[in-house]
Amino acid sequence: MDLHELSIQQAHELLSSRKVSSEELTRAYLERIRRLDPQIKSYVTVSEELALKQAKEADQRIKTGEGLTPLTGIPYSAKDSISTRGINTTCSSKILENYKPFYDATAIKKLNSSNSVLLGKNNMDEFGMGSSTENSGFFTTRNPWNFDYVPGGSSGGSAAAVAAGLTPFSLGEDTGGSVRMPASFCGVTGLKTTYGRVSRYGLIPLVSSFDTIGPMARSVYDVALVLETIAGHDAKDSTSRLEPVENYSEILKTTENLRGLRIGIPKEYFVEGLDSAVDFSVRDAIKHIESLGAEVIEVSLPHTQYAIPVYYLILFAEASSNLAKYDGIRFGLSERSVESLMDVYLKTRETGFGAETKRRIMLGTFALSAGYYDAYYLKAQKVRTLIRQDFQKAFETCDALITPVAPATAFRIGEKITNPLDMYLSDVFVVAVNLAGIPALSVPCGISNGLPIGMQIMGPHLSEETLLRIGHLYQSQTDWHTKHPPL
Amino acid sequence: MSKKDEVKVDEQLVEEIASLARLDLTKEEREMFVSQFKDILDYVSILNEVNTEDVPPAYLSSANNSAMREDDIEESVPTKEFLANAPQAKDDYIVIPRVHIEQ
Repeated sequence: MDLHELSIQQAHELLSSRKVSSEELTRAYLERIRRLDPQIKSYVTVSEELALKQAKEADQRIKTGEGLTPLTGIPYSAKDSISTRGINTTCSSKILENYKPFYDATAIKKLNSSNSVLLGKNNMDEFGMGSSTENSGFFTTRNPWNFDYVPGGSSGGSAAAVAAGLTPFSLGEDTGGSVRMPASFCGVTGLKTTYGRVSRYGLIPLVSSFDTIGPMARSVYDVALVLETIAGHDAKDSTSRLEPVENYSEILKTTENLRGLRIGIPKEYFVEGLDSAVDFSVRDAIKHIESLGAEVIEVSLPHTQYAIPVYYLILFAEASSNLAKYDGIRFGLSERSVESLMDVYLKTRETGFGAETKRRIMLGTFALSAGYYDAYYLKAQKVRTLIRQDFQKAFETCDALITPVAPATAFRIGEKITNPLDMYLSDVFVVAVNLAGIPALSVPCGISNGLPIGMQIMGPHLSEETLLRIGHLYQSQTDWHTKHPPL
Repeated sequence: MSKKDEVKVDEQLVEEIASLARLDLTKEEREMFVSQFKDILDYVSILNEVNTEDVPPAYLSSANNSAMREDDIEESVPTKEFLANAPQAKDDYIVIPRVHIEQ
């Protein structure tokens, strides 16, 4: 087996028994990135120098054998909205093209203390605004399964890199499906964490009340290993949860069946317009899960159809506020060949932001402006309450819900980019989770015309353990997650 | 009847919002936004169907009630490191273009 095909668990065994060094593993990935990424374009920055330095440090630690964790010496990448000290963090925006944070995000700091190895930063839709990475200010990432198709978004670079064997795992970020959708389109496993389970400190915000950092990897077990490392309360993020972090990977090792679990199938997610291959694969996966001992019932989430308009209105509003700080004064791009301070603001923002970002800033500024606040932002926040109550009610009768991640497999590059509304609608099954702040896992469950299909397993707040157990047992019985794109 | 039913999306409205958002849009962008805004605002008006009387807005996403932390003294970021990202800096200060222009 090639080094780039190893799971985190397998690589850990080879590292700790010193059959392979972290430097060898890291060089194998860097070499593969050099060879394949010019076509796939999943990385905005490859931090080769830092990676080799961190790998050597990891090898030192392995030599002493002290305080090794499953992630010691394991390479990884991160979405380019997660701050990395001294390494460009651009959010795939021209406005941050040369920005080098002077501190690490808490999630990165935790991986550093495990001596994990940062390979680089992954491409995304600018500031997370998009469902295809076509809105990146730099270039479009290709789906490793078929280069004519999008990898999904906004964490499309992360998903493509994991799928193509250009990293064992990546830290993604999910505001409205941005981990789950690309995971589904690229055939990898991705977890949208409970809001507050992973510290947002150092995550460049898009929508502060939706944003979550979550792992993307090649199996549920690997996702569990990453989650137990990066989760936990952080004094630097007042919204991070205080509850102790569970030892997810140990729990998975001892899970034998799903007896006693009740799974709900929300009827609003299996409707007209759902691709027949997706419908078939997800229902087939549900049958598998039922055969593992879970009970399956139909449930209803009656406000589902309002999730998209609520999500986008809140996103427009919060994003336009969060993006006000890019003004060409303290950091980032600055257009200085102008006469006045006002012109610096106007020209910097006009040149630095892409079309979708401007569109959302404009819509948000409008939705928050005097006279319209009640009709748009406040109304959306009220309907958000009803959507949350739908989930609360459903979780009174079941432990988890299973749905498709997306209504169809990946779409072609260019297919939706000229019609923003059409692009927004591709998020129809993923955004409600962010409105409710609950966790959801995307697990590969089929392939249609050479493109992967994913199922979404959602649960109540802090139910990561349940979701991982369901996904892990499913993967122990099936091999969809082990399929590789033909590269 | 909410105010959104009366919204008239035209170039003037787009220009006003652009000025509030500090975006110096091109003519092509303004024209494109007029038609796309109409579509998007039309689509979100579906929310008017939902009865939200007596429904509270859902602002807070976290279960924590105003978390407190110890007021520990920590080393702060060295000014030089912070200023390395500034477009223009001098003597530990950020430089901006003059605010007043002489007539």
